[in-house]
Amino acid sequence: MSATISMTGSSTAPVTAAARAEGVSKFYGTGDATIAALKDVYVSLEAGMFTAIMGPSGSGKSTLLHMLAGLDRPTSGEVFLGDTQLTSLNDKALTLLRRDQIGFIFQSFNLLPTMSAAENIVLPIRIAGRKPDEVWVKSIVDKLGLADRLTHRPTELSGGQQQRVAAARALASRPQIVFADEPTGALDSAAGTELLGFLRKAVKELGQTVVMVTHDPTAASYADRVLFLADGHVVDEMFEPTADAVLDFMKHLGA
Amino acid sequence: MFTATLRGMLAHKVRLVLTVASIALGVAFLAGTLVLTDTMRLAFDQLFGKVSAGTDAVVRAEAAYSQSEGISTSRAPIPAGVLTQVRKADGVRTAEGSVSGYALLTDNAGRAVLTSGGAPTMGYSLPADPALRGDVKLLTGAAPSGAHQVAIDATSAEEHHIALGSTIKVLFNGPTQIFTVVGTVGFGGEKNLGGTTGAYFDSATAQQVLGAPGVFDSISVSAEPGVAPAELAQRINAVLPDGAEAVTGATVVKESADAVNEDLKFVTVLFMIFAGIALFVGSFIIWNTFTMTITQRSREIALLRAIGATRRQVNRSLIVEALLLGLLASGVGLGLGLLVAKGLNLLMDAVGFSLPSTSMQVEPRTIVVSLLVGTLVTVVAALVPAYRATKVLPVEALRDAVPGAGNPTKKRIIAGAVVTSFGLAGLFSTLYADLSMKLFGPSLLAIIVGVLMLLPAAARPLASLIGIPLRLRGMPGELARQNAMRNPRRTSSTAAALMVGLTLVVSMGVFASSLKASFGDVIGDSINADLFVTTSSAQAPGFSPEVIKVVKGVSGVSSVTASGWGEARFDGADSSYSAVDPATAADGLNLGVSAGSVAALGTSGVVVAQSAATSHGWKLGDVIQSEFAATGKHDLRIVGIYNGKGWIGDDFIISIAAQTAAAGQQLTSSGLVRLAPGADRSTVQQAITAALADHPDAKVLDRKGFEKEASGFIDKLLTFVTVMLLLAVLIALLGIVNTLVLSVFERTRELGLLRAVGMTRNQVRAMVRWEAVVISLIGALAGAALGIGLGLALSQALADEGIKAISIPGVQVTLYVVLAAVAGVLAAIGPARSAAKVDVLKAVVAD
Repeated sequence: MSATISMTGSSTAPVTAAARAEGVSKFYGTGDATIAALKDVYVSLEAGMFTAIMGPSGSGKSTLLHMLAGLDRPTSGEVFLGDTQLTSLNDKALTLLRRDQIGFIFQSFNLLPTMSAAENIVLPIRIAGRKPDEVWVKSIVDKLGLADRLTHRPTELSGGQQQRVAAARALASRPQIVFADEPTGALDSAAGTELLGFLRKAVKELGQTVVMVTHDPTAASYADRVLFLADGHVVDEMFEPTADAVLDFMKHLGA
Repeated sequence: MFTATLRGMLAHKVRLVLTVASIALGVAFLAGTLVLTDTMRLAFDQLFGKVSAGTDAVVRAEAAYSQSEGISTSRAPIPAGVLTQVRKADGVRTAEGSVSGYALLTDNAGRAVLTSGGAPTMGYSLPADPALRGDVKLLTGAAPSGAHQVAIDATSAEEHHIALGSTIKVLFNGPTQIFTVVGTVGFGGEKNLGGTTGAYFDSATAQQVLGAPGVFDSISVSAEPGVAPAELAQRINAVLPDGAEAVTGATVVKESADAVNEDLKFVTVLFMIFAGIALFVGSFIIWNTFTMTITQRSREIALLRAIGATRRQVNRSLIVEALLLGLLASGVGLGLGLLVAKGLNLLMDAVGFSLPSTSMQVEPRTIVVSLLVGTLVTVVAALVPAYRATKVLPVEALRDAVPGAGNPTKKRIIAGAVVTSFGLAGLFSTLYADLSMKLFGPSLLAIIVGVLMLLPAAARPLASLIGIPLRLRGMPGELARQNAMRNPRRTSSTAAALMVGLTLVVSMGVFASSLKASFGDVIGDSINADLFVTTSSAQAPGFSPEVIKVVKGVSGVSSVTASGWGEARFDGADSSYSAVDPATAADGLNLGVSAGSVAALGTSGVVVAQSAATSHGWKLGDVIQSEFAATGKHDLRIVGIYNGKGWIGDDFIISIAAQTAAAGQQLTSSGLVRLAPGADRSTVQQAITAALADHPDAKVLDRKGFEKEASGFIDKLLTFVTVMLLLAVLIALLGIVNTLVLSVFERTRELGLLRAVGMTRNQVRAMVRWEAVVISLIGALAGAALGIGLGLALSQALADEGIKAISIPGVQVTLYVVLAAVAGVLAAIGPARSAAKVDVLKAVVAD
C-alpha cells in the first residue's frame, strides 16, 4: 500500500477545488511543550464530491477540518474556500463566510435547546436576517424524514433525529461546502447509516460538496474519496473506498 | 470537603466578587449607619460636656414629666430667690442663675445669621465665674456687661464679618434689640457649638431678653475643692424648696445628650430601613448564585454523592461556602461602612440636616453586628438552594444533565396568590372599611411578598411580551427573548431585586407627587389667605411673635392669623398641638367647626378633631387633662370640634395665650394674611417685605411662592430617599451582571455553536445585552406597577391627614423604567464581552 502514498490529492484529474489547504501547519503550545497537530499539509477538496478524512486519534484530522471550515486559524500556510483566502479574513468576515457558505454537522450539541427543530434548521439564515427558501427547506426536510418532527425541541428528539436536523440546517442555506465532524460518532449504527445515506444522496442528487471527518471505516465507505492522516501529515488517499479496504489500510496505518 | 469548597470559590473570581459586593453593600450601609450614629452620639456628648464642663451641680425646677425637646429645656423657671439659698449651702463655692432662649443674630446689615439644617439659634447668660463657663471661652474682646452688650460665637462673627465694637440686632421671642458686640466666644477649640449660633449676655440682660425678670431657667453651681458633685447635689437638695431639685452637672449633660439622641433616632431608624432593604435585595443575589452554581455543579455533587459523601456533607459544604462568603462580604462591607458613614453625613448635609461630627467611632458592637448580620443573611439566603442540592441523586453524575428549566411549582403560585389576596384584602379593609390602620403596613408587606412569589410564574409571559419588539432586532433579539424566558425562576429572582428597589422608589415618587398636588388643595380648602408669613429658612423652628404685630400694622392688611405648635400630653398620650389666636383664627382658617367655636378657646379651652373626639367618645363641654413639661397638668374644656384637617393637622388646638401660660413664650410658625378689600396683593406683599426688614427670621410669600417652597422641601426629601434607595437598585444591577455571567458560562457550548454557524461577535453581544434589557424591564415594569399601587395606597391612607389629591408622576416613572433598561445594557457589558470571546472550537468539539 505504501507505494500509493502521495503527498497531495492533486494527482486526480483537474476539477474545481471547493476548498484547499496549502502548506498548512498548526502548532499548539510554545517552547518544549509545542505539539504539531498539522505539518505542512496540502489538500484540495473537489466540488461535488463526498470526501472523508480519516486517521487515528491525534492524527490531526479534526484540526484539518477546523482549518478548512474557518473555525480555527493555521499557524502557517494558506486555506482557501473556493477563491477566498480564509487566512486573510478577519473574524467578522470569517463568521459571515461560515454563516453563508459553509454548513456544519458536529458530533454532538448541534442544536439550540430553546428552539424547535424547524427553527434550528433555518438558524443561520435567520441570523443573517434573510428569509429561508421554503421550497428548498421543505425538500430537504422531506428527504430527511423530519416533516413530523419540526415542532419538537431537541430534547424531544432522538440522537439520530437531532443529527438529521443538524444535516438539514447544514444544507438549508445551500452552502458551497458542508463539513461534518464525526457526525455519526454518537449514533447507533441504524441512525448512522441513515445519516450517511442522506449525506451521500446530498452529494449525488443535489451536487453538494461534503467533507467528513470520521474514524469509522464503514462511514468512510460512503465517501467518494478518503484522505488518510497520520501524525499531522496526509499519508495516503483512496477513491471509491469500501469499508474493508479502509479497515485494512487503517490497520496498516495503526501498526 | 473544606478545601474543595475554598478552591471552588476561588475558581470563579468574577462570581465571588459580584456576590461579595451584593452583600457587602448592604453591610456597608448597616455599618455606616452604626458608625454615623455612634459618632453623632459622641459628638453630642462632647458638645454638652463642653458647655457644662465646670458645672458641678445644677438646680432646676422638677419637671412635670420628662419630655425631649432637643437642647432647649422645657421646665418651669426657678425663682431668683432660690439662688440666695443655694449659695448658702455647704460646699458651694459659687452659684449663678442661667437663662437660655431663642436668639437670632443678624449681621451688621441686618441680615439673619441662619444656620444650616435648622440647628438652633440660641441666646445664653454668660456666667461671671470662669469655672462655670466651662469650655465656653472668650476668644477675643470682653465678657458682655449691661443691657446693650453681647458676645457672639466666633463662627458667626467670622463668616458674617461682624467686628468687635459694631452693633447688631438680635431677634428674640420678644422685641428685637440692638447690641454692641464686645466679644467672640469659642468652645474648647471649636468656634461654634455643633453648628448652632450663640449670643451671650450678662445674667440680668439674659433674664430680660430670653426669659423673664426675677426667674432663671436653672442655677449652675461650682463646688468648693474636695466636694464631689454628687455630695454637692445632695447638700443643696437639703436646702431647696419644694418643686426644685439639684442634680450633678454630669446628669444634665447625659440627659441633654440622651434627649438629642432620642430626637435623632429617626435618622438611625431611617438608615437602618435602607440598610435592611439593601440586604434584602442582596439576599436575592446570593439565592440566585447558589441556585445556579448548584445546578451547574450537580454532576460534581452527584459524583461526590456517588463516591460516598452523605447528604449532610453536601449540605454542609455549601453552608460553609455561604458562611465564608458571608464573612468575607461582611468584612469588606464593614470597611466600606466607614466611607458610607462619611457619605451619609455629606448627604444629610446636602439636603439640609447637618449633624455635629467628631472622629469616626467604630464600636466593637458595630463590628459584631455587621459581621453577624451580613453572614446570617448570606447563609439564610443559601439555605434553600443548599437543601435542594442534597436532592441531587448519585446517578445524575452519569447523566448528561442539561441545567434545568425550573418552572415555578403550582404550590408556589397558589401560595403567592393567597398571600397577595390577603395583602390586598387587608389593604382595602384598612383604607375603606374600619379595619385598624395598624394592619396597613403588614398588608403592604404581604402584597410585596406575594408578588415576589408570583413573579416566577409571570416571568415567562412578561419576558415574551417585553421581547416582542426585540424580534425586530432579528435573531439576536429573538434569542435574547428566548433566553430570558427559558429559566423563569432565575429571570424572576434576578428581576425581583430590581423590582423591590423600583417599587420603593416609585411608591415614594407617587406619594411625594400626591403630597405636592394635595398641597394646593389643602391651601385652597382649609385656609383663606392672600399672603403667607413664614420662616425665612425652611428648617427654622419659627419666627418671633413680634413679626405678627408688625405685619398687622401694614396698611392693606385686614387680618393676620398666627399659628404655632408644641407638644404636650393630652388625656395621658403624647401629642402635638396647634396654637391659634382665637380672635383671628376664623379669618384665615377654615377649620370646619361642627360644634362649638374656636373663638371660645380662652386660656382653658381646647378644640379637638372630629376623628379624635369619635375615637375617645369626647363631646362638647367634656374636660380633658393636658400636661405640659414646663408647668404640669391643666384641665382643658372642649369648646369645639373641627373637621377641616389640612393646614392644621393636629388633634388638639389651644389658644396661643394658653400655650404661653403653659409652656412659656413660643415661636410662631406661620401667619395667614388677608387683605383689606381693594388692596393690591403685590403692593401689600412689598409693603410687608419692607416692614419685615428688621425681622430677618420671617418672610412673606404669595400662594404660588409658598407652594413652590413647600414642594421644594418635599423634593429635597424625595431626592434624599431616592438616593438611598438607589443603593438597592445598584445591588440589583450587580445581580443582573451576576446572572448574566453565570448564564454565559452555562451556555458556552450554545454560544460556540452560534458562532460556528455564523453569528458575529456583535450579534452575540447584542443577544446578551437584549437579554439583560428584558430582565431589567421585567423588574422595572413590575416595580413601577407595584410602586404606583403602593404609592396610591399610601396616599389614600393619609387622606385624613390632608393628602386628598392623587398624582402619578408619569414622566418620572417612565424615566425610571428607561433608566432601568439602560442600566441593563450597562450591566451586560462585561458578560456580553465574555460571551463574544467564547472559543468556538472548545464549544463545538465534543469532550
